[in-house]
Amino acid sequence: MRVLVVEDERKTASFVRKALQSEGFAVDLCANGEDALATATTVVFDALVLDIMLPGRDGLSVLRQLRAAGNAIPVLLLSARGEVDERVQGLNLGADDYLPKPFVLAELVARVRALVRRGGETKPPVLRVADLALDTVTRQARRGERLFDLTAREFRLLEFLMRSPSRICSRLAIIEKVWDYDFDPGTNLVDVYVMRLREKIDADFPVKLLHTVRGVGYVIREPA
Amino acid sequence: MKIRTRLTFWYAAIMFISLLVMGGLMYRTFAPELYPMAARSATRLSEPDEGDLRETLRILLLCGVPSALLAVGGGWWLMRQAFLPLTDLTGAVEKIHAGNLGGRLPIGGNGDEIDRLAQVFNAMTARLDGSFQRIREFTLHASHELKTPLTILHGELEIELLSDSLSAKRREELCSQLDEIQRLAKIVDGLTLLTRVDAGQVELKIEPVRLDEIVRDVFADAQILARPSGLNLKLTECEGLNISGDRHRLRQLLLNLLDNAIKYNQPGGLVEMALRERTGVLAELTLKNTGPGIASAQIPRVFDRFYRGEESHCKAVDGCGLGLSIAQWIASAHNGSIQIESDPALTTLIVLLPLSSPASSK
Repeated sequence: MRVLVVEDERKTASFVRKALQSEGFAVDLCANGEDALATATTVVFDALVLDIMLPGRDGLSVLRQLRAAGNAIPVLLLSARGEVDERVQGLNLGADDYLPKPFVLAELVARVRALVRRGGETKPPVLRVADLALDTVTRQARRGERLFDLTAREFRLLEFLMRSPSRICSRLAIIEKVWDYDFDPGTNLVDVYVMRLREKIDADFPVKLLHTVRGVGYVIREPA
Repeated sequence: MKIRTRLTFWYAAIMFISLLVMGGLMYRTFAPELYPMAARSATRLSEPDEGDLRETLRILLLCGVPSALLAVGGGWWLMRQAFLPLTDLTGAVEKIHAGNLGGRLPIGGNGDEIDRLAQVFNAMTARLDGSFQRIREFTLHASHELKTPLTILHGELEIELLSDSLSAKRREELCSQLDEIQRLAKIVDGLTLLTRVDAGQVELKIEPVRLDEIVRDVFADAQILARPSGLNLKLTECEGLNISGDRHRLRQLLLNLLDNAIKYNQPGGLVEMALRERTGVLAELTLKNTGPGIASAQIPRVFDRFYRGEESHCKAVDGCGLGLSIAQWIASAHNGSIQIESDPALTTLIVLLPLSSPASSK
């Protein structure tokens, strides 16, 4: 898997590369829009991580040019501005995802991974992590013989976490996907919901599945 | 009393005195002619004749009073003319406030004193406008500029945390730093939002909204938020009400207020929420909490950015200090308001939002 990262800020580019490499991606870097456009049109990449604010040609312009030329490479936009209009503009131009700075690195990696495998996997109706099973049709969660009574929100939260087992889900991603907010409400809503969900699915069992990754987010995973 | 009225009164008084003086002089002048005998006798002069007096009064009443009334009326009109530009100017100045310093006063163009005043005022407003503009741009740039170093700090810490060779202590230190970076990021986010609001760059997505649904939804979230502190949350009334508004922002408004009501409460306290119609045109959301109360002098300040109460216990509460400022912006952007009533045992927040007109709600 080969990813092109277009970011003019040297340090940011460097740790994004490190993080993606540690996940097994081959990473190329570009520091400005012109180079990015030239590289992306000559080399085939599996995904493009594109900062909007770049010297010279900006990220949105690069994206517009690529799409105009019929290039369908999955694009994740990064922006320090984090404005709703910019996000909408980016998605309208054909970006596949958008991440405002400052972002959680684990989340960037998770999103790039999602872009790369996009469409490649079917969604099974029953999600399983260890002995925990979530039926997305009947909306029932069970662990062994024990059935859990979940509220609609708890169900969505658990489904979201179980769709990417062993991958860290950041608070922002959860807020976006489970609450449909396009802003961070600035409360510890997610933490409290996760805590409640954990009381239901983990409290009475010796093997814990739902874990907090401090400063980053939450993950559901089988015990090692 | 207006200057105009005062001057008119003075003018009328002067007119009246002139009239008296005129009458006196007239009497002295005319009396000898009308009664020739009197002119020769000095004693007669000092003893006014009844007939002379009446004649003088008659002339004064018939000629003097109408002239005086005309003069006073004219004087009033003159004052009005003189002060009209000032009245206009006051109206125009009233319309200028911190939010629209771009407005300028009209200049008559005849180079009078009022024009000069308007010019000076315009120049001052322009300078103020420039300063405000620079402060806004500064804050906006500052909040953008802060994001890059925050991204780098967060990313590099995360990279370091990926390493397996970290001691538990070091890992804990790094995680604590991540927490602080995220808190900073939240503050920067709130600040960016408010700065963009000041610059008029934030638009609401207005659509018909069932306010009661949002209230119930956010209330369910708040119940979860309140659980760790053992608070008793109640939704006593929730009428079905339609308003025009931005769904996300209204949720944010309610969530911010509830979050505050929960954070600034006492253990085992009460939070009571009710939504009802008021006077047929307003939706009224009341939010009572048994927090420590806010001194009446502090009430207007709680909406200020980064304002925290004087009480030391407030310092311990985690938050970015912008929640209420944001809530107030959302309410006013929906043509609504937030009022606070507080006594030491109970603080009540009242959010008023205009209902959508009956035609569009059904």
